[in-house]
Amino acid sequence: MWTLARKLLLHDRLRFAVAIAGVSVSVMLVLVQVGLYFGFMDTASSIIDASKADIWVGKESNESFEFATPFDDRTYYKVASVPGVAATQRVLMGFAQLKLADGGDIGVQVVGVDPQDHPLLGPWNVVAGDARRLGEAGAIVLDRSEYGKLKIDRIGHATEISGVRAEVVAMTSGIRSFTTSPIVFADTKTARSFFPMGGEPVTYVLVDVAPGASIADVKARIDALPHLAAYTTPEMSDRTRTYWSQRTGVGAGFFTTAVLGVIVGFVVVGQILYSGTLQYLREYGTLKAMGARNSAVVKVILAQAMISALLGFIVGAPLAMGMRAAMAGANLTVALSPELYAVTAGLTAVMCAAAALLSIVKVLRLDPASVFKG
Amino acid sequence: MATASIHQGVQPALARIVGASKTYGAGENQVTALSDATLDIMPGEVTLIEGPSGSGKTTLISILGLLLTPTTGEIWLEGQNVAGLGERHLPALRARHFGFVFQGFNLFPALTALENVSMAIQMKDPTFKRPKDEARRLLEQVGLGPRVHHLPADLSGGQKQRVAIARALGGNPPIIIGDEPTAALDTKTALSVMELLRELATTHGRAVVVVTHDPRLERFADRVVRVEDGRISSVDSPRSHA
Repeated sequence: MWTLARKLLLHDRLRFAVAIAGVSVSVMLVLVQVGLYFGFMDTASSIIDASKADIWVGKESNESFEFATPFDDRTYYKVASVPGVAATQRVLMGFAQLKLADGGDIGVQVVGVDPQDHPLLGPWNVVAGDARRLGEAGAIVLDRSEYGKLKIDRIGHATEISGVRAEVVAMTSGIRSFTTSPIVFADTKTARSFFPMGGEPVTYVLVDVAPGASIADVKARIDALPHLAAYTTPEMSDRTRTYWSQRTGVGAGFFTTAVLGVIVGFVVVGQILYSGTLQYLREYGTLKAMGARNSAVVKVILAQAMISALLGFIVGAPLAMGMRAAMAGANLTVALSPELYAVTAGLTAVMCAAAALLSIVKVLRLDPASVFKG
Repeated sequence: MATASIHQGVQPALARIVGASKTYGAGENQVTALSDATLDIMPGEVTLIEGPSGSGKTTLISILGLLLTPTTGEIWLEGQNVAGLGERHLPALRARHFGFVFQGFNLFPALTALENVSMAIQMKDPTFKRPKDEARRLLEQVGLGPRVHHLPADLSGGQKQRVAIARALGGNPPIIIGDEPTAALDTKTALSVMELLRELATTHGRAVVVVTHDPRLERFADRVVRVEDGRISSVDSPRSHA
């Protein structure tokens, strides 16, 4: 069966090449689009996922992680005093203008955190400088992937954010913002100086639940406080991903392209298999006339579909890896996980099997007596 | 009515068609393709079926080969009337009893002679052990031993038909049905193919049923069945064989 399927496919090499090209493009599109989506989603929740907090507390009215409105510092103490809370940390988030070396300005996303010995959130993947200096007035930490955009070339570079002096004290790697504005880590006090709102605003309170206490119970107690909403870190991460995916339509955009990729593969493989089936219809009819069961002939067609799927995946997956490398240069993350490869391989097999359906129906309806008709 | 049931009492028929008719459509549009045909297929015999185009020859061999269900009548195989069996049972019966040879060979162009034959053997019986060995034996039997690895495109018309005959012999069916198997061949090649079919009947005891328009093939036949207007009009026994 496999020998016949392979030889039937390879007999017309040009047609076979078109089939493999169709499946490969389909595989590549699915992997890159879904990988880009997951990459964006990983970026969107990267700050949350990197935290060591059990619970994130923000304003009840917040919809977006990045565009959350702050509350007064007194609320921080209310949360800290909830039974079962072992430790807390302030997080202040907002957007400000960073002065470029050439005199221009660029929007940045400031993440202010309380400096602590064991912070629940702080710069991670530090590759140069000293992030422990973050407590110094005006100290900031940037990601090296943003150095070009921010026209910064070294640790110690001094600049201004909202007219306030800032100095780069450390450099991270791989921390990017979903909003495309570079992330600037700073001490909470320094961050407050970048925002003109005044007072002592806090956007989130991170909570470390005491050993032995139930995270769910502590979360419920905080939720009972007026105007506050508490989420476990996984819940906060999901909420952020869902917001960007659904509210902005970005998820639908990526998946529409991925579905188009599947449709392209489906149509190409279906057309190739069907034309091949028509070409060998008399031969299939002869086999049926001589007693071959429908199942035996159907297996040959399905085997052709599976060979197309396998080879298409073998070509398409490295193409997707190449695209990932090329997109990394443009600061775009294509998250290609083993699970995504596995699911895409399965999807490719299903797509090719479905594409073979028309051919299968044709063979099932083939009257073996037709071989006597001319 | 002429019938081709002339061997009763001599030896048992491999297959028997009794009073088979085939009609299409209904009422004023009804067309009778075959009417009240009776035919015994005997081991070791070559039966030619002759007649003008549209006379019912193809309908007759299609019914004989269990490819077409007769409207009325019986088809006896293995002591059982199989005319009423559903399509679920027929492939196995066809695989056990019939091999087919066609004018157009119907070989897979991507497969070698050996693969065409062994694949057919395996398709007929997926449990068959060492189908390639059997295919090689059959190809040697039809005189194609040195060309087992050739693709159909690299074989002459006569050689292709020999591959098709070897394929028909796969699974050792007792009855070989040929639908104008020599029509696409030159005279010399056509005669050599008929000699081969004759030998299969004489030496191996197979029943060979061949539809043809070519009267030169009659010398290979034990019986010539003429079909006209959907009826078996005559059954002759030629005096000599080639």
